[in-house]
Amino acid sequence: MFSFMGEITLSPPQAELARLPVESKIFLEGPDGSGKTTAGVARLLGLLERGVPGASILLLVPQRSLGQPYLHALRTASLPPGSPVALHTLSGLAQRMVELYWPLVAEAAGFAHPDMPPVFLTLETAQYYLARLVRPLFDEGFFASITLDRNRLYSQILDNLNKSAVVGFAHTQIGQRLVSAWGGEPGQARVYQDAQECASRFRQYCLEHNLLDFSLQVELFVRYLWPDEGCRGALLETYRHLIVENLEEDVPVTHDLLAEWLPHLDSCLLIYDQEAGYRSFLGADPRSAYRLKALCPQRVTFTGSFVTSPMVIALGECLGRALQTGSQAPASPPPGTSETSDSLPAYQAALSFEVQRFYPQMLDWVAGQVAQLVQDEGVPPEEIAILAPFLGDALRFSLANRLERYGIPARSHRPSRSLREQPPVQCLLTLTYLAHPGWALPALPTQFDLAYALMQSLEGMDLVRAQLLAEKALLRVDGQPRLLPFERVKADLQERVTYRLGERYEHLRQWLEGYAQAPAQELDHFLGRLFGEVLSQPGFGFHANLDAGEAAANLVESAQKFRRVAAVGLADLGKPVGQEYLEMVQDGVIAAQYLRSWRGEAQGAVLLAPAYTFLMSNRPVEVQFWLDVGSRSWYERLYQPLTQPHVLSRNWPEGKHWTDDDEYKTSQEALYRLALGLLARCRRRVYLGLSELGEQGYEQRGLLLRAFQRLLRAAPQEASGV
Amino acid sequence: MRLPPDFQFTQANLQDFVDCRRRFLLRHVRRLAWPAIESEPVIENEQLSEKGARFHRMAHQALIGMPFERLALMLNEPELAGWWTNFQSQALPEGRRYPELSLQATLQGYRLVAKVDLLLVTPEGRALVYDWKTSRRRTPRQYMAARLQTRVYPYLLTQAGAQFNAGQPFPPEVVEMIYWYAGFPDAPERFAYDDDRYRADEAYLDDLAGTILSLAEQDFGLTPDAGQCRYCVYRSLCDRGVQAGSLDDWDEAMGAPDESGGNLDFEQIAEIEF
Repeated sequence: MFSFMGEITLSPPQAELARLPVESKIFLEGPDGSGKTTAGVARLLGLLERGVPGASILLLVPQRSLGQPYLHALRTASLPPGSPVALHTLSGLAQRMVELYWPLVAEAAGFAHPDMPPVFLTLETAQYYLARLVRPLFDEGFFASITLDRNRLYSQILDNLNKSAVVGFAHTQIGQRLVSAWGGEPGQARVYQDAQECASRFRQYCLEHNLLDFSLQVELFVRYLWPDEGCRGALLETYRHLIVENLEEDVPVTHDLLAEWLPHLDSCLLIYDQEAGYRSFLGADPRSAYRLKALCPQRVTFTGSFVTSPMVIALGECLGRALQTGSQAPASPPPGTSETSDSLPAYQAALSFEVQRFYPQMLDWVAGQVAQLVQDEGVPPEEIAILAPFLGDALRFSLANRLERYGIPARSHRPSRSLREQPPVQCLLTLTYLAHPGWALPALPTQFDLAYALMQSLEGMDLVRAQLLAEKALLRVDGQPRLLPFERVKADLQERVTYRLGERYEHLRQWLEGYAQAPAQELDHFLGRLFGEVLSQPGFGFHANLDAGEAAANLVESAQKFRRVAAVGLADLGKPVGQEYLEMVQDGVIAAQYLRSWRGEAQGAVLLAPAYTFLMSNRPVEVQFWLDVGSRSWYERLYQPLTQPHVLSRNWPEGKHWTDDDEYKTSQEALYRLALGLLARCRRRVYLGLSELGEQGYEQRGLLLRAFQRLLRAAPQEASGV
Repeated sequence: MRLPPDFQFTQANLQDFVDCRRRFLLRHVRRLAWPAIESEPVIENEQLSEKGARFHRMAHQALIGMPFERLALMLNEPELAGWWTNFQSQALPEGRRYPELSLQATLQGYRLVAKVDLLLVTPEGRALVYDWKTSRRRTPRQYMAARLQTRVYPYLLTQAGAQFNAGQPFPPEVVEMIYWYAGFPDAPERFAYDDDRYRADEAYLDDLAGTILSLAEQDFGLTPDAGQCRYCVYRSLCDRGVQAGSLDDWDEAMGAPDESGGNLDFEQIAEIEF
């Protein structure tokens, strides 16, 4: 092993790769855990050490979290002064270039107002505009045969547009591609046509109003900016060295772009994970990625694993075989696997399980095992990950609660969290209705809403007093909500609530009333004032309450972003943007999911995460717990009646029908990749949380469970049942 | 004090430390989101900030070669149009231009970073660091002289600018910091640099960062100048007031060089984005 720059230790192959001449074009492949990223980091630091300017190096990643090892190294390494290295995703790069070169391409791309700046849409605001366009179409019979939450319909329409952009076909072909692969009920063809119509209308609306959703940003970059001499020339001149991490998780248009870019570069390092492709539902295409190998003169393959123990490797081999039994095997077996039977007993030490009857019993068992690991065996909590195919609020709460009883902190890692369900946000929304009586929907806020808001907003207010006060204090005047002055509340209730709390209530009430009498302000400004001038002041519930501050900040940011984007379309209607925002929140179109601000990896806490999210964080742990092993959610696609990621990929032959056999085969392959990908990120042991009845109370017999049963039947004496 | 793993020093967070240690702790170490109103009148300030951002974007576009007349078509607001006319008519010296340039060096084991609006290297070898200012009042020279930005930018260019000088560090004597006011185009504020200043800045920044790292959390106390708190979002958390101050008052107050401008960043739009 070699020490590099005194900071990282390298194996001979890693050191050799890092030391290759600066002007090298390298394709590096290998299985998970074989040390590719460490070699990539060493290569980057080596370039800088050899005098390559940081600003001439571009790190391209499919999602930002995958750039963390590089950023960490750049922060900690003793690097010479200079210009910093750039880290981008395709969409980040696209947005940056679109913003800069907008005046040159807006007209050619068909935007109606090329002299006005572009408006970039978030997922939330794109969904809002789409909802506005699609909602009237429901009355015309669009999607009549589909029973699904409307917001999920919207997200699938956007997903189709995104697929067309990242795969590289015209958005007008979405419906035709889906229809041509459909071999079932004829009615479904109408659904696909409806989806096409909605996508086309949305695209047209975006062009008319300078709105750029993700798909349009990517299209504008790929179709107009990259071919533009000025823009392309600037990129080629700025970035002379390219490092691409997890090439297989990126999308075909990125690969196309790289294929054109590589000949112009001084150096490149393309890193390809052989058994991955976890983001295929987002358009990732390992096959498309692999063609870039031919463009790199130097090809390096790493084998083995720096992460997993021999027992876990053996478990992976056995589980892989069990998953393949009775089904068509995936295209290639995992590198390094052997068919020798002598590895069979080795997995014993890497697998633990216990079968429970009921789901809560299984959760108790999991928490108990975690406590034993942490308290008796000294495993650091951050080296434990509890994984499930989905991590709903109920499961997250149940697990965190159980672990708390053992004094073990937990952190959940979900890509999004519901903003509107957070108590401080509910409080702010209720107070917003009271300050804007004309905006309130009928019957809102309810007495319960008010009681809850009073409990949140007034320091010292308990639920009983809050309910008593809310019952008397919430009035309806001409159908609009009003608060009764405290002095007009009956004396016995005043006493029960206490005068001190009454004073705080009155201060809040008067502030709201004073606000309501003046012209309405922008919603985010109102929320900022309410927070700063009342709720975060001494005596009120948000004072020194840092979690409430963060929740309120997220709401203010969401409302502000919405205002900046939605004002474009609402100007003609004369409707306050704030009112529209509240209605959309109630409708679940916005603030249903909100990307939380990034926080550093919490030390000393067990990670609770969906399996795919954990995979894409690319951070191995000592011990993994797999929950809901019998669930079909480990491999089955979500119900997506408006889209189909496989059919919309570049690999699907035109006109071929998607069959049940295709569905089964892709599910099997997805499960195989997922299970082996998880094991490749586990150093020591996997615990299976098994219950006869699942979370919903039904017996579960999914493929993953059946594979484990096959594996254990083959060697019952070696099973490490607890 | 243990700083977050991804922490990097900037002129803005160092200025915060100088102005109010507590604000530095809350904003840059704890990264506490606290969505109170920063200053009044809020809507006007927001518009001014957005106009400043648009101006910076257009300046960047012009400096990478987009035609002025094409960019002028995007002007739809008189104040911005006035700034743009001024920008268009200013005579930048000939030389190599590096707009929106990022620089970094190591300071007490952390990265010290900055993003300058424009680095212009003249044929004679002068290195001019331009910063576009879009505030409505021209800031007094003595005030700007005391700002961390005036020390950090020339220092960083001297430290980390070799890439733009044929691989050799710029001698401090050739570096100049220029604040160009979009509303006062004929009165830019220029700060020459030299070896003495460079050494003084190096010692000062090293000492400042060292102080930050050596303090315990309880040592990050409130500023003695409570007037600043009117322009700070954390005022309720620190029990330092209820309502935000007016930007007009702030502008007047910052006349004296030893008074701080509070928490406002209207002059640092580009770096905020960075």
